[in-house]
Amino acid sequence: MKEKVHLITAVFFALFVIIVGLAFVILPDRDFSPEENRSLALFPEFSWERLADGSFSSEINDYFADQFPARGLFVGVKGIAETLMQRGENNGVLLGEDGQLAVRRFRIYKSRIEHADDMDYYSPDAVRMNLDGIAAWVQSSGIETVTVLPPRSVDVCSSAFSYPREISDALYADVSSLDPAAGPVDLLPLMRERYEAGEYVYLRTDHHWNGRGAYLSYREIMKRFGMEDEILPEDTFVYEQVPDFYGTTWSKSGLRFVGPDTLEIPLFGDEEDRFETVCLSERTVKGEDGKPKKSLEPYKSFDGWMNRDYLSEKDKYGALLDGTHNIQTVFSKTEERERLLVVKDSFANLLVPFLARHFDLVILNLSGGVTDASRFAEEFGTTRALIVYNWENLITGTYPGNLR
Amino acid sequence: MVFSSLIFLFAFLPVTLALYYIVPGRKARNWVLFLLSLVFYGWGEPVYILVMLFSIVSAWGFGFLIGRHRESSPKRARAWMAVSLSVNLAALLFFKYANFFLSNLRLFPPLTDRISLIEGLTLPIGISFYTFQIMSYTIDLFRGKTEVQRNFVAFGAYVTLFPQLIAGPIVRYRDVDDQLTDRRETVPLFSSGVRRFLIGLGKKVLIGDACSRVYEYAKGTASFRATAVGAWMVMIFYTMHIYYDFSGYSDMAIGLGRMFGFRFLENFNYPYISGSITEFWRRWHMSLGNWFREYVYIPLGGNRKGKLKQYRNIAVVWFLTGFWHGANWNYILWGVYFGAILMLEKTFLLKILDRLPGFVRRLYAILLVGFGWILFSHTDLAAGWTCFVSLFGIGTEAFCTPTVGYELLHALPLLLIAAVGATPWPAEIWNRLSGYRWCGEGAVTDTGEQIPFTDTVLTARGKVFAVLTTVGCILLLFVTTAYLVDSTFSPFLYFIF
Repeated sequence: MKEKVHLITAVFFALFVIIVGLAFVILPDRDFSPEENRSLALFPEFSWERLADGSFSSEINDYFADQFPARGLFVGVKGIAETLMQRGENNGVLLGEDGQLAVRRFRIYKSRIEHADDMDYYSPDAVRMNLDGIAAWVQSSGIETVTVLPPRSVDVCSSAFSYPREISDALYADVSSLDPAAGPVDLLPLMRERYEAGEYVYLRTDHHWNGRGAYLSYREIMKRFGMEDEILPEDTFVYEQVPDFYGTTWSKSGLRFVGPDTLEIPLFGDEEDRFETVCLSERTVKGEDGKPKKSLEPYKSFDGWMNRDYLSEKDKYGALLDGTHNIQTVFSKTEERERLLVVKDSFANLLVPFLARHFDLVILNLSGGVTDASRFAEEFGTTRALIVYNWENLITGTYPGNLR
Repeated sequence: MVFSSLIFLFAFLPVTLALYYIVPGRKARNWVLFLLSLVFYGWGEPVYILVMLFSIVSAWGFGFLIGRHRESSPKRARAWMAVSLSVNLAALLFFKYANFFLSNLRLFPPLTDRISLIEGLTLPIGISFYTFQIMSYTIDLFRGKTEVQRNFVAFGAYVTLFPQLIAGPIVRYRDVDDQLTDRRETVPLFSSGVRRFLIGLGKKVLIGDACSRVYEYAKGTASFRATAVGAWMVMIFYTMHIYYDFSGYSDMAIGLGRMFGFRFLENFNYPYISGSITEFWRRWHMSLGNWFREYVYIPLGGNRKGKLKQYRNIAVVWFLTGFWHGANWNYILWGVYFGAILMLEKTFLLKILDRLPGFVRRLYAILLVGFGWILFSHTDLAAGWTCFVSLFGIGTEAFCTPTVGYELLHALPLLLIAAVGATPWPAEIWNRLSGYRWCGEGAVTDTGEQIPFTDTVLTARGKVFAVLTTVGCILLLFVTTAYLVDSTFSPFLYFIF
């Protein structure tokens, strides 16, 4: 009789553990998580050697974590708990007015060997090396270049947060010191002003800009190239509205109660089919003289510059340029035009619809480590170059410093 | 394996409990505990099971020799005790301290190139804890305070018992010798164990780990913009982190022990409300303090052989206490630091403190403890010193930056919860409201007093609180699970850069 009271705890505890345990056993294993965009661990292979060296148990741990039942629910609960605790952020992502999210903490690059996790301060030296790399490449290549360094959401959307602007402003000052010869475009004040006026220039749940933000940069790029007269007015384009977009920042934040974005993709009627996108890979083959040489070979091509299959999936931004490819061309099928070398990260993917109206594009994925830009400029005979590389990449990596 | 992992909570623990309660009889249950504890221990580093088994077998074997000669020939018994202790300490010295000694020898130029470190030597988890537990058996056996344990599985289960294997408390053999062969698992014991375990789990994951993240951030900012506020955050949040981490772990160990019918001594008693360092060390990691007092301080003569010897004994104990925490100079200094304060308190400070108001005494103690944690948390002594002087604005760039201020502001609710939770108030209030002793029931104080379980017929209000307490604990488990799942949730987002 007296022990009944105590029995409650034992029973509740057992129920909780058994329900979760049974769910784990009954629910089928998944091999891919769209929220995290990665393969999940499956049950590891057993061998006595793998048991002895600890790799079996370590993989069992991964398996257990990855296949844990209702992961999404639990991640959401943690997001709610952190919000109730007034943290103002979760997993390094700030939660601002109107559901605006922005990554605050990054895995920043400190020195040649050292990274720091979860840090909002950055190393000015690392930024310096990247900027110097860009300036040096522009100087040595002799190609007329415009450089667009898009700020992060946390910089543009600062009015949505009580988070101070101190670091944004310091980084802005550092980025603004880029050699004028590299054709820097000044974006932060413009984007901030438009954002504060309520324009949808940056996405709320993703780290990229939206169609209108990209259009603003397109205009600045054209001005820098001295092609101000050729700028197409914004109403030339129709923004296709892609609703229910939960972007990368949303995934990272675990703040499941935040609503989706509408991705705006600029279209211009049926004319897209005039273009063709080709994805290329470089292989080493035997040349005619018997020596090995590099050869570019197409492995995928499609009309226009978009893979619409992505629009019905979680990773909607991946529709642009079919996600990540290291070397791509977007050429007109009907005419020969001036070629523009685009050395970029994914921010440039949304610039393509605007730029493709003026140029045939040769696109190199600098954030994927394609750094030998001069060689491709020569190979394709590009006469101008555009560098697009956002601030997050400037503080977390070193590729621009290796541009050749 | 660690307690605060999904695989422990939802696989290892339920399977172990099920097996344990399915098999009948004390012997079979000890077998289950022994074997599954080995699985628990070997989960990450299976090889080190052998090191532990070697220590167990040797202490168990020498135990027979000590027992046989104890009455007839104390000298022989003493010799066997020495052999047994040496074998055990040798394992600890080798695995934990060998590279520390070698790297210090290398500081002398003639030796720099002649000595190299032993490669691939990693510390077997929990070796500091289980070595001390084994030693308590050997010494108490020689002293006649306990009897020879003939049953290998019972002795093995004592040493390997997974609840306290990795991070204590350091359970003296004689405190559980009866329980090894004769314990009774009961529903009140089990359920109070579950509650204790869940509270400990919540303390570690929800408060300890959260404080650790703020601490890591504050520490990280120092290399970009060193600020005084940042240094204070390092100190304060580390102070909270280590308390919630360690005492949470002890709570979990005590709770798990009860789920298997064991009653371990308490290990923490609200250390941060102490009014002196002397008091602090009576409330912090009590099982370690008791161990050193009983097996080092008193054998050296304690306070019975004159003031001078007493100070020498204090010095020895605190040097060893520091060194026990890690093979690094900062830990040694940390121990010496407290040894010095304790001596000062003994000589005159306590008398002065006694005359001061309570809050001044508490401030004095918590500040000195906090300074100590700065030393403890910086294995790089120079960095530790930089952090310490930053507290007073020396060498800093600013008093505070907007960003550091923002972080502090948003960590204040956490800090408030952590600070209140480190006092006895929440438990007292809960007990008073419910009219029963839900918090602290079943505890065994270090004097051996056993606080009884809530075991009367409950009033109506008591019933409500019985349900509330349980629901609260399960909710804690639910939220903790969410935090653990989230920590394994690692979106790979940089595919589109």
